[in-house]
Amino acid sequence: MASTAAVPFWRSAGMTYITYSNICASLVRNCLKEPYKSEAISREKVHFAVSKWADGKPEKPSLRSDSPE
Amino acid sequence: MAMAATVRREGRRLLPIISSSPNPSRSALISDELGPQGARSISTQIVRNRMKSVKNIQKITKAMKMVAASKLRAIQVRAENSRGLWQPFTALLGDAPSIDVKKNVIVTISSDKGLCGGINSTSVKISKGFYKLNSGPDKETKYVVLGEKAKAQLVRDSKKNIDLCITELQKNPLNYTQVAVLADEILKNVEFDALRIVFNKFQSVVSFIPTLSTILSPEVVERESESGGKLGDLDSYEIEGGETKAEILQNLAEFQFSCVMFNAILENACSEQGARMSAMDSSSRNAGEMLDRLTLTYNRTRQASITTELIEIISGASALTG
Repeated sequence: MASTAAVPFWRSAGMTYITYSNICASLVRNCLKEPYKSEAISREKVHFAVSKWADGKPEKPSLRSDSPE
Repeated sequence: MAMAATVRREGRRLLPIISSSPNPSRSALISDELGPQGARSISTQIVRNRMKSVKNIQKITKAMKMVAASKLRAIQVRAENSRGLWQPFTALLGDAPSIDVKKNVIVTISSDKGLCGGINSTSVKISKGFYKLNSGPDKETKYVVLGEKAKAQLVRDSKKNIDLCITELQKNPLNYTQVAVLADEILKNVEFDALRIVFNKFQSVVSFIPTLSTILSPEVVERESESGGKLGDLDSYEIEGGETKAEILQNLAEFQFSCVMFNAILENACSEQGARMSAMDSSSRNAGEMLDRLTLTYNRTRQASITTELIEIISGASALTG
């Protein structure tokens, strides 16, 4: 068991539990066989725009997207 | 009846054009002797145009209703299934909306598109209420805004307090991975003691309940469970493995946040489609009513002008024979 260390390795790498579990989920999805695999992977698409606000002004939005290239 | 008045007004506006038409002698005769000016020569063109545009609008709203209905059906199942994600967390950690902490972050969930009734203003109103409730001299409250519509409303009077703004969420069908990445983004960019997520919980196609979910930071959870406050029975659970309670709680809080966000976003999207469906339904009904009234006015005016013409012809003929 890798997570028996005092602080798990992924947290010391600056990841949150969410990122960690997402990577695990993605690995599991890649283990599926074909008709199910592409269907499951299609549920991994991420698309949204984030903009931070400072002093009542929006900064330039950054786009998080991995729609099919 | 208001429609009839409009038509009459329009008719009067057209009067100068009509009276300047050839055949001045006849129109002068009528306008002096009979009834209100221009009563005979009301143009039905305006009413006809109006009817056409109302009919087109009705078609559009009907189509939008169908689209919303089909989207609703797809998303409703997922929203109802996703309720199973947050229920265990509430059973374990409890939900403490009344908790009093220093750094509050209000996550307002709204839609990107309009034409869906009052769901966006409801969630904005509730968020502002919680902002007032949680602001104090040594407290700090910030907004995280999801969706264009809440952003547009919050920019007006509390843009100083917006921390983060997230849009274009619903371009692809919503999925957990997306919400998890988003939750991650929020966790990394915002400091909080308590996250308060405001969204519209889907009840039925016509009813949505504005709802608040509170996510506490791991430190607050630990403090509360030790002081035996609102989250008393966390200590009755045994922790396995080599991790400390703080680590477990941190993982749990993060995962809880992403799960609750997932559910909240789905519920809100579902409410949005439901609200859009009922809004479009009532607007196509309104358009139908309006069309009925317009048709009535149109036919009445047409008939009146036909009658007047007949009277003119008959009286002219009888004047010749008599």
